[in-house]
This record gives sequence, structure tokens and C-alpha cells, in this order.
Amino acid sequence: MSTKSAAFFRAEGTVLAPGVLSATAYLASNAKKFGERALRLGVVALSAPLHGLLGQNDRTLGNRIAYLAFRGMSEDRIAELGEEYARDVLKDKLLDQGVELLKRARAEGHRVVLISDNIAQIMEPLLPHLPHIDDLVCNRLEFADGEATGKLLDPVIGGHGGGRWVQDYAARHDLDLRPSLAYGAHGTDLLLLAAVGRPCAVNPDFTLRRGAREADWPVLEYRE
Amino acid sequence: MRPLSIHESYADRHVLLTGASGFLGKVWLAMMLDRVPEIGRIYVLLRPKALRSARDRFEKIVQTSPAFRALHERYGADLSRFISERVEVIDGDIAAAGLDVDPAIAERLRRDLDLVVNCAGLVDFDPDLREALSTNVDGTIYVADFVATCERATLVHISTCYVAGTRSGRIGERLIPDYAPNDQPFDANAELADARAAIERIVAEYDGPERSAELHLDVLKHIRERGLDTNNDTLVRNVTRRLRRAAVKDAMIAEGQARAKRWGWTNIYTYSKSLAESVLAGYRGRVRFTILRPAIVESALTYPFPGWNQGFNTTGPLSYVLGGWLRELPMRRGNPFDIVPVDYVCNAIAIAGAAILKGEHAEVYQCGTSDKNRLTIDRACELTALAHRKHLRRRGDSVVDRVVLSRWDGVPSTLDHTLSVPNLREATKGFAKLMRELPRRWPKALLRRAQRAAKRADELDDKLDTIEHLIELYLPFIHDHFFVFVTDALIDHQVVEPEFRFDPASLDWRRYWIDVHIPGLRKWSYPLIENKTPESYTPRHPFTFTQAPTTGERAGGGAQGGVG
Repeated sequence: MSTKSAAFFRAEGTVLAPGVLSATAYLASNAKKFGERALRLGVVALSAPLHGLLGQNDRTLGNRIAYLAFRGMSEDRIAELGEEYARDVLKDKLLDQGVELLKRARAEGHRVVLISDNIAQIMEPLLPHLPHIDDLVCNRLEFADGEATGKLLDPVIGGHGGGRWVQDYAARHDLDLRPSLAYGAHGTDLLLLAAVGRPCAVNPDFTLRRGAREADWPVLEYRE
Repeated sequence: MRPLSIHESYADRHVLLTGASGFLGKVWLAMMLDRVPEIGRIYVLLRPKALRSARDRFEKIVQTSPAFRALHERYGADLSRFISERVEVIDGDIAAAGLDVDPAIAERLRRDLDLVVNCAGLVDFDPDLREALSTNVDGTIYVADFVATCERATLVHISTCYVAGTRSGRIGERLIPDYAPNDQPFDANAELADARAAIERIVAEYDGPERSAELHLDVLKHIRERGLDTNNDTLVRNVTRRLRRAAVKDAMIAEGQARAKRWGWTNIYTYSKSLAESVLAGYRGRVRFTILRPAIVESALTYPFPGWNQGFNTTGPLSYVLGGWLRELPMRRGNPFDIVPVDYVCNAIAIAGAAILKGEHAEVYQCGTSDKNRLTIDRACELTALAHRKHLRRRGDSVVDRVVLSRWDGVPSTLDHTLSVPNLREATKGFAKLMRELPRRWPKALLRRAQRAAKRADELDDKLDTIEHLIELYLPFIHDHFFVFVTDALIDHQVVEPEFRFDPASLDWRRYWIDVHIPGLRKWSYPLIENKTPESYTPRHPFTFTQAPTTGERAGGGAQGGVG
């Protein structure tokens, strides 16, 4: 029986304040041509109500539509703007208490896993500004001929796959889930939190709050 | 292929380098001194200029050029001794028979030399035809003649991939004697003789009575326009000399362009370089040579330091234009833009030299990236826009630069785009005309403002004119042709030392372009475009030769022509 344990952090809501919409809007509004910027922002705007309606339940569709805004954008631009967004925007919007939790999890000897709806081009440049992360799991765009196709590669982060995924992950890395931690902020994280022995809801939305109350999970409210 | 060791090949071998004052020559020299200190003697052939001897020129080059920064940092106060032990500067000129070297020194060189690296060349796209032929063709002939008389010397001749001319497709590594891109029957020697005859004809024509009379009228008009005295004989003589020189130069450029175009070359530079290759083919059997054809040589990736660049290279002016308010640059999407960092080319020269020293060389080596790691012109444009954005957002001079210009990305467009430069020029001219022709009864204040606006429009038109010419110059490389230069010969050599390998596939274009190349251009090339002086380098320990000049070196000279 393995004695290794992990701490799973859903980045959005626990470590980062802005979500996917903010990132996609930033990249879309910095596309190459002026008309293109408006068009791409329109696509992001289209996904906004979906995030609002389904955000507590399943973000997969919302994410897929939001990232559709990158269709035809060059890999170079996405990488460069991703770095810029991480450096100029996200870095200043890290949640201090979330960062403390990351540090504490590390100090307790857990393998720290950060799960994010954002794409690798944004999250990877952000890593140097975070405490040590052992593994980053995030969305990945599909590229063809140096341009984004607008599709996300499976598995898309943001849905209810988190529960099954975490079981597979534990098996792959020989982890014991009972002493493991998980921090989530949205209804979509319910299964992820349910899979580990020590779940914690952080600033939960309505769905997660109700679930946490029924399952008797601790609820953490960040204060300014 | 057997493994090829650069260190072993060059150990105690004596090398003559021409073109050591150029971008490529300097970096190669510094790199060889730095990385292959066991090399024999490096003879540097430099042309004395005005009152400055070749030796003084060389000292100044080592003293001020950032290309030698790595060496200065490594050796410090000991650099003078280190270089003095390995380098000997020779007064000479490749554009003169016998290279204009003192006979005693020439005799010694003929006995000692193992390798001659001919880096000298005039790289302007459309120079005076006389200068192009003298440096690029005659220079090659004289260097080859010299090598032919040496006991065992071999030759690495630096050419360019673009000798291929206006043709598309994969360009192989072959030396075709009497090659013309349009496949017409072509005789390089006959063409050379014909070009020389044309040069003489032009000179005679401008000395003739008809042109002289025309010129005299121009001179008088020129003097009158400046409000000076047309009876001042000295002034008339000086202006006549100046205008004649300019007119002859223009005629030479036009003649060269016409010749290049007639046979299918893109410009006078590629025309003269290709003629030189054809001429060199005639030395087969007499001289052991290899031709190295780099594509577009640009900023260093690592050596002497990331971003080092010198003077105007191809991407300098183009990327500079894209960093301003002009957005639409004509280019054909998907066309390869064959850029190769200068240190890659220096590695290639080292490999070609080592191979020929070992007798395992190919006749032609092409050194580019389009074959193994293609950068397309539209990707280069995108990367340029992103690099400017990165710089302007943080270090833009004004709020407008930081907020607006940083988001004003250059985009590839077609030749007939609505916002193309010719169309923009039409619009500016129309605007200026409109402002000048406002009804006179309008209020005076308004008319004065209109006059000022017209003047501004004229200034803008001048700038657009420069850009239009620039685009015309570069169109063959960014729009007209789809070149892919095969680079198998270099890659076939199994180079033992990893730092000397030619590995275009490992180049990460995004990192190179945004973090190395454009910042390098911004530091070393853009100031020249803006008529400013780029940052100079002052080492902590000045460099001077520790030994007295060898006999035969002159204190100055008046050799003309060539860029030795």
C-alpha cells in the first residue's frame, strides 16, 4: 500500500481569481487584425452565458466555445500572449491564501497537483510565480500548421471527469487518495473532492456549498 | 562520412582571411581564435584606408567591435599577446592583381598557407556595377590566382544561396559553370567582357560633349536654385564633378540592374556573385576550392553573444518598417524566408574549411534553414509584430507607443492592397494637392494651416517613397519566389565538436526572433537607420599588437576599390 499522498488544487477560484473567460478575452482582443479582434471577442462573449448557466455544473461546453475564439490564431501569438497574460495580469491576481495553501501542502509532504481550465501557454509561464508545483494539468489546444484549430485536446478540463481522472492519476503515480487533499471552488469539482480523503471547498459556489454541507466537508472562505 | 574534427583539422594550419572587417569575417575570426586556439597563424588581409594602415585598422576593429567581446572577456589584458601570437595583418586588396601584397610577404604566404577563406564581398543589393565587379568578381579571380600559385593552399569561397536567381523550387548544391537563372545560353566570360565594355561606354558617354552640355545646364540650375553665384568657377567645377559622379553612378546601377534582370538575377549583388562562381568553376583542376553559400545572414544566436548584428542586413529595414505605423507589407504567405544566424554560418565556414583541409569536401555547401527548419515570411512578419509589441508595451517612448502602436501589428498583404504603399502615396499626394489648391477667398489663417498640412504630407510622401523603394528591393525574397535551399552537404559531415555543428533543425524561431534577433537589431541596426550611432564597445584592456610590424607592411596606402 502506497504511503504517498497528493494535494489537488483546482486553480480557478482557489489559487487564481480570474477564470477562463478573462484569459480568452485577453488573447482574443489582441489578435492580429482589428476586425479579427472584434470577431474573436464575439465568440468569447457567446460562451459567457454558458459559463453563467452551466458554470456550476459542467464547464466543458463553455470552455470549448471560449477556446473556439482561437481558431486560426498562430501558435506563436498564443504562446507570446499567454506569457504576457501570465506575467502582466495573472501574476498580480494570485490569491494569497491559496498560495499559502500550496506552500502548506508542500510542507506536509504532499505531491502538489494544479488543475486548471486555462491552457498550457498561460499556465506554464505562471509556474515560476507560484510555490513549487509537482504537476500541472491543464487544457491543451490542438494546432495544425502552426495555427490553432480552435479545438481542445481531450480530456478537456472543466467537466465532471475530475473524479475518474483523479482515480486514474492516483493509480498511475502510486498515490493513496485517503490522506490526499483536494481544494475546489465550483460545482464541477464535486467528484474530484469526493474522491479524496481530505476535501475542502474554497469560496464555493451554490452547488458546491450545498454538496459540501451535505457531505460535511470543511468550507474555507478567503478574506480580503 | 568519417567524423570530422575541427580542432584536429585546424591545428597548426595557416589560414588567410579576407573580408575580416565585414560582419561575417569578424565573427568567424573571433570564433576561431576563441574556440580553436591551437590554429596556426591567421593572416588577415585588409585594405589600408586613407592614412590608416591595415594593422591600425585591425587594431581598431578588435578594440571597438563587440564581435570580439567574448575574446576580451576571456583573455583580458592577455588578449594582446594572444592575438599577436596568432594573427598577422597583411596590407593588401583583393581587387588588385596579386592581391597588392608586398612580394616578400606574398612569397612567404605561398609557402605557408594551408587555407584561404574569401569572405570579402560587396553585399549591397544594387551597388555601382564597377564596384560590384571589382570586389565580387575580380576579387575572386585574384584570390583564386593567388591560391593557384601557393604550394598547398586550398580555398573556401563565400558566395550566396541567392545566386540561384529568379527561380523557384528546391535549389541543389551544385556548381554549374556559365549558369544563368533563365536557362538562356550564357557565357560568363563573354558577359564579363561585355559588362566591362558597357562600363567603359558609360564613362566615355558622360565625358562626351552631349552629356557634358546637359550636365552643365543641370549644374547651373542646381547653383541657381540654391541662390549662389553661377560665375564662381570653383563652385561650378566642384558641383560639376559631384553631379557627374552621381550621374555616372546612377547609370552604372541602371546598367547593372538591366544586366541582372536580363539573365534572371534578382539584383546586381547576386548577378556579380554568380559570375564569380562561374569564373571559379574555370579553376577546377588548378585550385582545390569549395564554395559556401549562406542564405540571409542575420543576428548571432549565441556567438559572440546573442543578438550581435552589424550594419543593415535584410531584415533590419523591413522589421524597422513593420515596427512603425505601416501595417500592410506585401508578401506571399508560405514563402520560405531563409534566415540563418551568423554563428551558424561561421560554423559552416569552419566545417567547409576543415573538410577541404582533410580533402573530404563537397564542391558546394549551402547554409540556410529553409530545407530543414522552414520559417515562412508570414511567420516572420507575425514574430516581428510580436517582438515589437513586447518591446513597445514596456519601453515605448510615449503613451501612444505603449498603448496604440504596440497593438498596431504588421500584417502580410497583397501587392494591390487598398492600403499598399503606392496607394498611400497617391492619397498623400492628393491630399497635399488639395490643401494647396484651396480657394484663395478662404480665411488667411485657414490657408496657412492648409499650407502646413500640405508640407507635412510632402514629408510623409518622402518617407513612403523610401519605404516603396525598400519593398521593391526585397520583393524577390519576400514575395516573388519560393526558394528552398538544400543543405545536405553540411549536415552530412559528422562534426566531432558539438559547438561547431550546423544544426538548423534545433533553432527555435520564436525564441530566436523575439528574444534575440529583433532586440539585437534594435540595439545594433535600427540606430543606423535613424542616423544614430549604435552603442560602442570599450574593453577594459585595450588591444595593441605586442610585436613590431613585419617588414613589408606599409604605413598607409591609397588602394582603391574592394572591401577587403
